[in-house]
Amino acid sequence: MPDMVSLSRAASGQPSQFKTPYSENGGTILAVAGSRFCVVAGDTRRTDGYSQTRYAPKVFRLTDKAVLAVNGFSADGNMFVNKVRQQLEWYRHGHARDMPLHEIARLMQTMLYARRFFPYYVSNILSGIEEDGSGAVYTFDSVGSYERDTCRVAGAAQSFMQPYLDNQDDWYTRPSVHYKNQRSTHSSSRPTQLPLSSVLSLVMDSFVNASERHVEVGDGLEIYVVLAKGSSLQGLEKLTGAQEVTATSDGERVFTVRRSLRRD
Amino acid sequence: MSIMEYNGGSVIAMVGKDCVAIASDLRLGNQALGVSSNFQKIFPVTDRIYLGLPGLATDVTTLRELFRYRVNMYTVKEERDIEPETFAHLVSSTLYERRFGPFFIEPVIAGMSKTPAGGLKPFIAATDLIGCLNFAKDFVVAGTASSKLFGVAEGLWEPDLEPEDLFETISQTMLNAVDRDAYSGWGVMVHVITKDKVISRTLKGRMD
Amino acid sequence: MMNSFADRFSTTGPIAELRKAQANVEDDQFSDAAWGSEAGFGSLAKGVPAFTVPNVPDPSAFLRLHTDDHADPNCRIKIQHGTTTLAFRFQGGVIVAVDSRATAGSYVASGTVKKVIEINPYLLGTMAGGAADCQFWETYLGMHCRLHELRQRERISVSAASKYLSNLVYSYKGMGLSMGTMICGWDKTGPAVFYVDSDGTRLKGDLFSVGSGSTFAYGVLDQGYRWDLTDEEAQELGRRSIYAAGHRDAFSGNTCNLYHVKEDGWRFIGNYDISQMHYEGPTGTGTGYGYDLRVEGRTSANPPPAAAAA
Repeated sequence: MPDMVSLSRAASGQPSQFKTPYSENGGTILAVAGSRFCVVAGDTRRTDGYSQTRYAPKVFRLTDKAVLAVNGFSADGNMFVNKVRQQLEWYRHGHARDMPLHEIARLMQTMLYARRFFPYYVSNILSGIEEDGSGAVYTFDSVGSYERDTCRVAGAAQSFMQPYLDNQDDWYTRPSVHYKNQRSTHSSSRPTQLPLSSVLSLVMDSFVNASERHVEVGDGLEIYVVLAKGSSLQGLEKLTGAQEVTATSDGERVFTVRRSLRRD
Repeated sequence: MSIMEYNGGSVIAMVGKDCVAIASDLRLGNQALGVSSNFQKIFPVTDRIYLGLPGLATDVTTLRELFRYRVNMYTVKEERDIEPETFAHLVSSTLYERRFGPFFIEPVIAGMSKTPAGGLKPFIAATDLIGCLNFAKDFVVAGTASSKLFGVAEGLWEPDLEPEDLFETISQTMLNAVDRDAYSGWGVMVHVITKDKVISRTLKGRMD
Repeated sequence: MMNSFADRFSTTGPIAELRKAQANVEDDQFSDAAWGSEAGFGSLAKGVPAFTVPNVPDPSAFLRLHTDDHADPNCRIKIQHGTTTLAFRFQGGVIVAVDSRATAGSYVASGTVKKVIEINPYLLGTMAGGAADCQFWETYLGMHCRLHELRQRERISVSAASKYLSNLVYSYKGMGLSMGTMICGWDKTGPAVFYVDSDGTRLKGDLFSVGSGSTFAYGVLDQGYRWDLTDEEAQELGRRSIYAAGHRDAFSGNTCNLYHVKEDGWRFIGNYDISQMHYEGPTGTGTGYGYDLRVEGRTSANPPPAAAAA
C-alpha cells in the first residue's frame, strides 16, 4: 500500500516503490454559460494507464442551481465533491435555503486552498444560475484561484476543444459576443448570446471531435442543463433522452442528457 | 522545454475540392521573447508544391537551402518538375539521413499532383523530425500549436471545399489555434493552390 | 540530508508549525463552526486558516516534487508563471496596470484573468506568481484591514497593510508560496506603493514592475516617467507599458486592466485589448502602437500601401 512514509522516500530522492499519491485519470469537462441557462458536460471514460472504465461520471448536481464538474485525479475529485456537498447540506440546515452560486465558488476557494500544501489534484468547473438569473461558469485551479467565465474546457483535451469554442464564443467580453476572429465578416449579424439548442449541439460536436483525436476521451457523454427560474424548456422537451433531475418544485430546473461516444 | 518551443511556430495544410491550402504563423521568437513578426516558414518548391518548415529557425534556413539544392538537382537530371509524392519521399529520406542527430523540423507539404489522366489532384503530407511520412486525406498540422490546430480543424474542416471556402476554413483554424498558443502567432500567411494559380494572403492576427 | 533531519525533530520553524496546524485539523475536523450561521466558511471558520499537510518528514519537499515545473516540466500541478504587472506613484496618485493572460506551459489557459485584487476601496494588490496564493492572501489581508478599521477607528496605512502581508507570507517561507505583489493605495502620507514578495522582501518605492514581461514594461516606463505627469499622461504611460510587454512577451498579453488611485480611493479606468492597441490605439480610432504602423512610409523598405502599389 502506498503510504506517506514511502512517499517521503520518493520526495527526498531515496529509492521507493511508490512515487506519488496522485494519478491522472484523463477525460475532459466543459461548461458554457448562456443568458438564462448553463450547460455542463463531461465524458465518462476513466483511464488508468492502459486500462479504462466506460462509465465514471465527472459531473455532479450539487443543488438545483449548481453543477460541479471535476477532472484530474478521480479519487481526489470524488472526495472533494463529497466534502462540498457536506458543506452545502450544513448550510441548508443553518439557513433554510440553498447556497447561492457565487458563495459556493468562494467556499470552494477556501476548501481548495486549505490543501495548499497537499493539493487536490483536480481541475474544477462550477456552473449554474446566479441569484440574478444569469448563467455562470467558475473555473478553479487545483489550489483555489478562480475566475468567472462564459465558456471553459478543462482536462486532457482542453487544448483541442477550447480554441474551437473560442471561434464560436468570444472569451474577452461579457456578456459574451460570439464569433472570435470573425469581426468584419459577421459584424452585422452577430447574435449576442447563443440559444440553448445551438450550445447543446456545439458541446456534442466538440466532444465527438475530441474523441476522434484524443485517446483519453470517449465512451460516453453526460450533459447537465440548468435553466433559470421561470424560463421555458427551449426545445429540451424534444431532445431524445433528456431527463429531469430537479429536486425542488419552484426554482431552477436541472436536466441530464446522455450520448454515446467512440468506444475505441 | 521542448526544442520546438525555442523559436516557436506552427503550420497546417488542408485538402479542398481541386485545391489545397497551407498556412503558417509569422512569429520568430527566442523562447518567451518575440523577435520577428515576418518570419516566413512556407516556401515554394515548384509552381504547384509548397513546403512548410515549423521548428528550430536555424534548421528552417538550412533545410530550405538543402531542399532547394536537391530539387534543382532532380530537375536538371530528370528535365521535369518534381511531383509532390516524390518530393515527400525526398523530404523523408533527407530527414532520415540525420536519424541520430536530427534537424528539429516537422515538415508539412501541400501541392497539386498530376494524375495519369492528365488532371491535377490535391496532395498533402507531413513527417515527424526523422522523416516518418503521414499522407492524410483531410488535413495535417505541425508545430507548437499542433494540438490546438487539430481541435479546431477537426471541427471546421469538411470535404470538397471550394478555394474561397477552404481559405476561410484554414484561416479561421490558424487564427483561433495560435491565439491559444504562447509560442505561435504575430500574424498568419495563407497560400491556396488551385489548378491554375496560387492565392497568397497575409492575415492580421493578434499581436500579443 | 542534514536539513531535513533537523527539520523533522525541531519544535520551531515552519515545518513544525505546519505539524501543529495539522494536528489541530485532525482533532477538529467537524467543529461547531461548521454548523449554523457560520457554516460554509471553509478553513476560515476558525478565524485562522488551517492547512492540511501530507504526513511526511518534509512536506515542502513533497509539494515541490509535484509543483515545481522548473525542475520537472512534467510535474502534475502547474502553477501559473507568466505575467506583467506595474504600479507607479506620481503627482496625481497611483497608476496600476496589468495584463490578463494566464499560461500553462505553452497553452494560453485564460485571457481574462483579473490580476488587480481589490482589497478594499482604498487598497489594491497586484497578482504575479501563484494565482491562488495572491487571491487567497490578499483577500485575507482585506479581512484584517477591516478588523484594523474597527479596532483603531481609522483606515490602515498602506505601509501597515503591506507589512502585515509581508510578515504573513514570511511565516510560510520555504513552504513553496509564490507571489510577487504590489500593494497600492492612498493614506495619510499620500499615494504609496509597496512591493512585497513571498521571499519576504518588502520595498517602498515610486515605480515597480513585476513578472516575466516586467523588463519590457520598465523600458517604456523609465523612458516616460516624471513625477509631474498629468492624470491622462500617467494613464497612457501605464497602458503603453503593458502594451509593450504584452506585445513582446509570449506569456503576457490579451488585455490591459488599468486602475487609478486618488485621495478618495481607487477607480477602474478601463479594459483595453492589447491587439487593438497595436492596430488602432487604445481608443480604437487613432494610430496603433505597432512599430510597422508608426514607421509606415518613413523608409523605402516599408512604404505606404499607395506607394507600394505604384
